[in-house]
Amino acid sequence: MDLIVNRVSVYYGDKVGIKDACVEAKKEEIIGFIGADGAGKSSLMFAIAGVKRFKGEIIYENYAYHSPKEAEKIKDKLGFMPQGIGLVLYPDLTVDEHLDFFSDIRELKRDEEYWRYRQRLLKMAGLAEFTDRLAKNLSGGMKQKLSLICTLIHRPKLLLLDEPTTGVDPISRQELWEILDENRKKEKSISLVSTAYMSEASKMDRLYLFDDQEIIASGTEKELIDMARDYTYEETECEEGCITFNKRTYSLRPLNAKKAEPTLESLFFVNALKKNKIPPPIQIEPREQKIEIPPIVMEARGLTKRFGDFVADDHIDMVLRRREIVGLLGANGAGKTTFIKMLLGLYPIDEGELYLLGKKISSPEDRQELKSKIGYMSQLFALYKDLTIYENLVYFAKMHGLGMEKALHRIEKLSKGLGFDKYINEFPKDVPLGIKQRFSLAAAILHEPVVLFLDEPTSGVDTVARAQFWKLLHQLKEKWDISILITTHYMSEAEYCDRVVVLKRGRKIADDTPQNLLKRFPNAKSFEEVFLELYKESE
Amino acid sequence: MRIFGTVFFKELLIFLRSIGLVAVVLYSFTIDVYIAGEGIEVKPKNVSVGYVDYSNSILPQKILSHLHPPEFKKPKPFTSQKELSQAIFNKEILVGLVFESDFEKSLLTDGKTKLNILLDSTAAAQSYITLYYLQNIVMRFVPQKEGFELKTHKLFNQNADTHMFISFSEFISVLTLIGVILSAAVFVKEKEEGTWDIMLLMPVDSKIIILAKAFSQVFIIICASILSMGYVVLTIFNTPFNGSFLDFFMLTLLYSLTLAGIGLFIASVSKDIMQVAQISILIMMPLIFLSGAWTPIYSMHPLLQKLSLLSPLRYYIEGSESVVFRGTATVDLLQYYIPLAIIGTALFIFGFKKIGRLF
Repeated sequence: MDLIVNRVSVYYGDKVGIKDACVEAKKEEIIGFIGADGAGKSSLMFAIAGVKRFKGEIIYENYAYHSPKEAEKIKDKLGFMPQGIGLVLYPDLTVDEHLDFFSDIRELKRDEEYWRYRQRLLKMAGLAEFTDRLAKNLSGGMKQKLSLICTLIHRPKLLLLDEPTTGVDPISRQELWEILDENRKKEKSISLVSTAYMSEASKMDRLYLFDDQEIIASGTEKELIDMARDYTYEETECEEGCITFNKRTYSLRPLNAKKAEPTLESLFFVNALKKNKIPPPIQIEPREQKIEIPPIVMEARGLTKRFGDFVADDHIDMVLRRREIVGLLGANGAGKTTFIKMLLGLYPIDEGELYLLGKKISSPEDRQELKSKIGYMSQLFALYKDLTIYENLVYFAKMHGLGMEKALHRIEKLSKGLGFDKYINEFPKDVPLGIKQRFSLAAAILHEPVVLFLDEPTSGVDTVARAQFWKLLHQLKEKWDISILITTHYMSEAEYCDRVVVLKRGRKIADDTPQNLLKRFPNAKSFEEVFLELYKESE
Repeated sequence: MRIFGTVFFKELLIFLRSIGLVAVVLYSFTIDVYIAGEGIEVKPKNVSVGYVDYSNSILPQKILSHLHPPEFKKPKPFTSQKELSQAIFNKEILVGLVFESDFEKSLLTDGKTKLNILLDSTAAAQSYITLYYLQNIVMRFVPQKEGFELKTHKLFNQNADTHMFISFSEFISVLTLIGVILSAAVFVKEKEEGTWDIMLLMPVDSKIIILAKAFSQVFIIICASILSMGYVVLTIFNTPFNGSFLDFFMLTLLYSLTLAGIGLFIASVSKDIMQVAQISILIMMPLIFLSGAWTPIYSMHPLLQKLSLLSPLRYYIEGSESVVFRGTATVDLLQYYIPLAIIGTALFIFGFKKIGRLF
């Protein structure tokens, strides 16, 4: 073994980052870290990279280190790319200047071999033609590829990449994986890569699954899936001690049902069962106010938004029908958030028309009146962090003009129904992300809107909470006849939507049901691949 | 009105919950004002004096005996003028006295004599005030033949106590800076936390939200001002309060509204709290220095004097000083009330429009 991580723990004050993590890796291996935000992937990367104090021991090529200071010795062999698109880049430097800079701080000799290697990296990243473009003018995918080749310029033997593909478009993601694959073969390096996408597991040699600051399982993808096999059944009625999601039911006790083929996600459900962390059931009550909703709730015709020369959204048409969940999919920078903000009236529309409930929106007064019909949950579950959950909800209810009695009644009903009632007097920062997500939703639907906009509501949330959230949305749709527009960069979530709209660099490249899309690309095994095909088709 | 109350009390609650902010406001309005009043003194203190006495007579020692602590250190003798100059050059001595050999003799025979004083003028304020002291000391030894006598009557501040003026000036500077930052921060914090969009989506007239948020901060500032004036400036430094408290309160209210207007403008152009702090300092510095808080207006360049007419702070300072120290009647305060009200309303409407456009 060339890298041995032995019972490493990282603490932030008295908060645990990762506990007792053990990892082993050989040369030429790509090791995957899979788990939700806050599961401990980044903490472990920080420890191995020697940028964060840790307990335990890390041995790299027979050199053992126990602190950032001792790790100094191996830093010239190490390449670390932190999480976040373009975080290591300088917006006002060109591609070439970046490579110069990263070579200079590593004091690389500029010999023939260096230039040959550098040229190869640029070609692999598809950046050879853009060497004098400023980093701020690169697309999200190009930025990530540039960050990666900057990390590779000194030929590191131990590569640590923290979520390099999150939010990146499917084609760039595939290219990133190709670069990594070629690099490990040519340079014989160890690559540790974390990801939020389960579907990327197939690109890795071995996987470590993270949940709740612990590594819960490790092995090859096949081995891991086999671990969940005994507990995975086809969807069935089950009373206690089980979780049902996506046509499968998980239970530790034998069920009287047919076994089903598990996936990697199944393991997270089984783990939740083993730890007895079964999410509370959701019960949505019908609307209090009965209203008549027309078949077409919202219609956008040729919506366009420009920021200077940059066209964020280019003539997008979209219809949102009653009782429909529409997924708005696309990579970072595809124009999803801008589009939603235009629909909400947070951005003025540069071109095009917008109809809500059959009425054209033209004046600010129209919008004012219709705001009461819209529910919105923003990225990051934005709420007042100095108010308790209860105070937040009361505030939102009052702002929507609900009477105190009615407000309290609805808050009680929603907090019980969505299963966060025992957290109601806590501050938002003290509750798990999954709970935060639910009470943000509660705040968005307190006034019983007819249409709900959700901007990346599942980003970073763990598998079980995510599954629960999707169930919640479907129940809401059934009971309230509500239409939901939801943006996400998890392509795999397409299958939970009634219809998906795919954006690519401000243009709509698909608008169809998930079933039809799968039919259109019979060779695609998963939605990930469907989107890769869609992106390629529209190049 | 109900919405106004909801937003107003929410902002107060959030302010009280942010311990850091409460601490900064309390510190600035109490301890900071106290330290400024107590600490900054324009009086000689521990001034180092050196002398060379070539005369070997009694008079120099008599003069030197007046230079004693706490204003002066014990005068240090030097053997030659060269040595003394060297000591001044090395910053060991601030003021040097050279008594010529015929110092006492000239005075006795001719009735006049000459005392040479070497001053390190880089420490301008201290050395010039020392000079003024020396002149006073020397005067006592020289009979006033001309028959002139200066009889000074110190008005409004009998002890010529600088504490209360400086603490008052500091209070006004703190009020200005904190006022602007608080009213800008209350909007920008929402941008930072991402609640801005949610606020914009409330089916409520945005004017009410803006007003409620701005007034909640004005309320906090007024409370802090009363605390600062009441406890620090008036009680600890024993500043006499000669006018009507209501007038002072009204002036402060008008001025706080002006600050809120500036805060609204800053909020509309800032993305985060850091930017608020930077832009506030950029805007407030000229405002404070043009106002006469630290430099008297009549000693400014004529152009700057004209410019200072635009500074709302100028009217607030002159107005409130009149109320506090001179006890000016309300009618005579109109010359401050009116321009302050005009500038304040204009700035508030401007800021209101600017941030309102974002709604």
